[in-house]
Amino acid sequence: MSLTTATTAARQTDKHINIYEPHEWKHSTKVAGVTWKNPVGTASGTFQYAAVRWFYDVSQLGAVSTKGCSPIPWEGNPSPRTAEGPASNLNAVGLQNPGVDHYLEDDLPKLKKAGALVVANVAGHCDDDYMQVVAKLADSDADMLEINVSCPNVTHGGMSVGTDPVALAALMDKLRPMTDKPMIVKLTPNVTDITVPARAAVEHGADALSMINTVLGMRLNIRTGEPIIANKTGGVSGPAVLPIGIAAVYRVRTALPEIPIIGIGGIDSGEKALEYLYAGANAVEVGAAALFDPVAPLRIARELDDLLDERPELAAKLAAGKTWR
Amino acid sequence: MTTFTPTHDVVAEATAAGFFPPRHTVEVTAVRELTDHVVRLTFRDAFIASHAKPAQFVNLFTHDDFMLMPRPFGVSEVEGDEVSVIFAVIGHGTEQLAQLEVGDTVDVLGPLGRGFNLKQDANYILVGGGLGVPPLVYAAQKIADMAGSVATSVIGYRDAHFGEEFVSRYTDRSFSIDNAQGNVVDLLNQLEQSGELYVTDHAPIILSCGPLPMMKAVAQWAAERDMPAQLSMEQRMGCGYGTCVLCTVDTVDGRLKVCSDGPVFTREQLGWGE
Repeated sequence: MSLTTATTAARQTDKHINIYEPHEWKHSTKVAGVTWKNPVGTASGTFQYAAVRWFYDVSQLGAVSTKGCSPIPWEGNPSPRTAEGPASNLNAVGLQNPGVDHYLEDDLPKLKKAGALVVANVAGHCDDDYMQVVAKLADSDADMLEINVSCPNVTHGGMSVGTDPVALAALMDKLRPMTDKPMIVKLTPNVTDITVPARAAVEHGADALSMINTVLGMRLNIRTGEPIIANKTGGVSGPAVLPIGIAAVYRVRTALPEIPIIGIGGIDSGEKALEYLYAGANAVEVGAAALFDPVAPLRIARELDDLLDERPELAAKLAAGKTWR
Repeated sequence: MTTFTPTHDVVAEATAAGFFPPRHTVEVTAVRELTDHVVRLTFRDAFIASHAKPAQFVNLFTHDDFMLMPRPFGVSEVEGDEVSVIFAVIGHGTEQLAQLEVGDTVDVLGPLGRGFNLKQDANYILVGGGLGVPPLVYAAQKIADMAGSVATSVIGYRDAHFGEEFVSRYTDRSFSIDNAQGNVVDLLNQLEQSGELYVTDHAPIILSCGPLPMMKAVAQWAAERDMPAQLSMEQRMGCGYGTCVLCTVDTVDGRLKVCSDGPVFTREQLGWGE
């Protein structure tokens, strides 16, 4: 259990952080011209305001990326929807959500009233779905839009767009003229070369990229020989995918030096958030860690705020909208 | 210890700020094998002990960096500031929990979910099966404190009647059956015919937790008698507090989250036995 020992040793030297005390954030970042009070947000899919609000003040986060929003309510996939992997979780929710109208009437106003910086995540089964949602969000209070072309758990839209640079470019050509809001495209790691869809998104109007969505995976029940998840496959997230996310950010940063990047995948500590920033991210989002502790995103933000004290060069670059690489 | 194991008293910090406690570390105060694969684990947690309602559950996490998902268990009993759960060892996670010893620590989040509605004085009939029994033990414990209510347990077991020791501490009458003898619906019918089920003037209310086919049969049985039934559901779960949408159940109102919309649903909500 050397990993366990190493983690414990690292954390025992941490100073005591009370995440509930008022905090003056020391290190901001900028993503596509939008200032985040700190570089840590929540990843879409693992954040529901109605659930999280009991645990901490969501306005303390850099941003919250909300659950993928479709033009009409989606019921998602049948159960079971989850399985466990080594240091990871598999999910196949299938983007269950109450639809964009409910989002505009309920979640969004509540989040804005609570003082959160909101990234509205947009889902669709086809180009027309995405267009309907973006049309409704264009005049909303959402601060940024995130186009989900990377969900592995829907049969149309989602990852089928994000793995096809031609389809992605065509979709962006339709969405881009619809709004001036900063538009983030969330990429899938389930491709041979992530710089290809990254370039397609940027050349066709993306203001920023977020990566990675979940990695396609599967578990079987060895008693029955059958898949555990009803959808058969699911998306892997959690600490196990950290190196995959880091490599994705590094490669896209190298290929596209100017595009703002939000790093996602396996972040469970301030140190791992910092690693993404050194890989070239402007900000990060925390996903599966919220399944293991509801307050993980805020704790990680606070840990990172202290780690950046000791790294003034990196902190200055982030605040200016630049990155380490 | 994982990255997620808090290093200080986060319960005090959270509650002082008006927030629900996050994951925190508690001490194991008792571990007992009830059968060769069923274990009763007790830990000290003043917050959960004073807030848990029957059919609410707790997420337990071992200090394992490779197995991070919570294991959710219904609260089975509360004595002072000690909370007990009863679970079967079915995989690596429950095996790790079963190997804990007195004085070890485990991480916990809770209490979670919406429990049974016990607001009404009633003749509560607790119908359970197997590992659905623990939440009914806690329901019986709470009903025992309600002067106007009566609790009768009707429980089915695969073999060993491991829950009877606990449920009989609190119920007015306890009945059980195992697979070799029949099922709980057989037992309900027998007790109804012998006049042992409706022993007060209060209206009967079914509280049930157990395997899905059993609960469907119990809902049907209740529906035939126009009897209210509250059913505590189980599903493979993620976060346990409503954020990840992994643990849904199909209801007449669409797919709802077992963890935060439930785990207790009425038979009408589930559309069972109609």
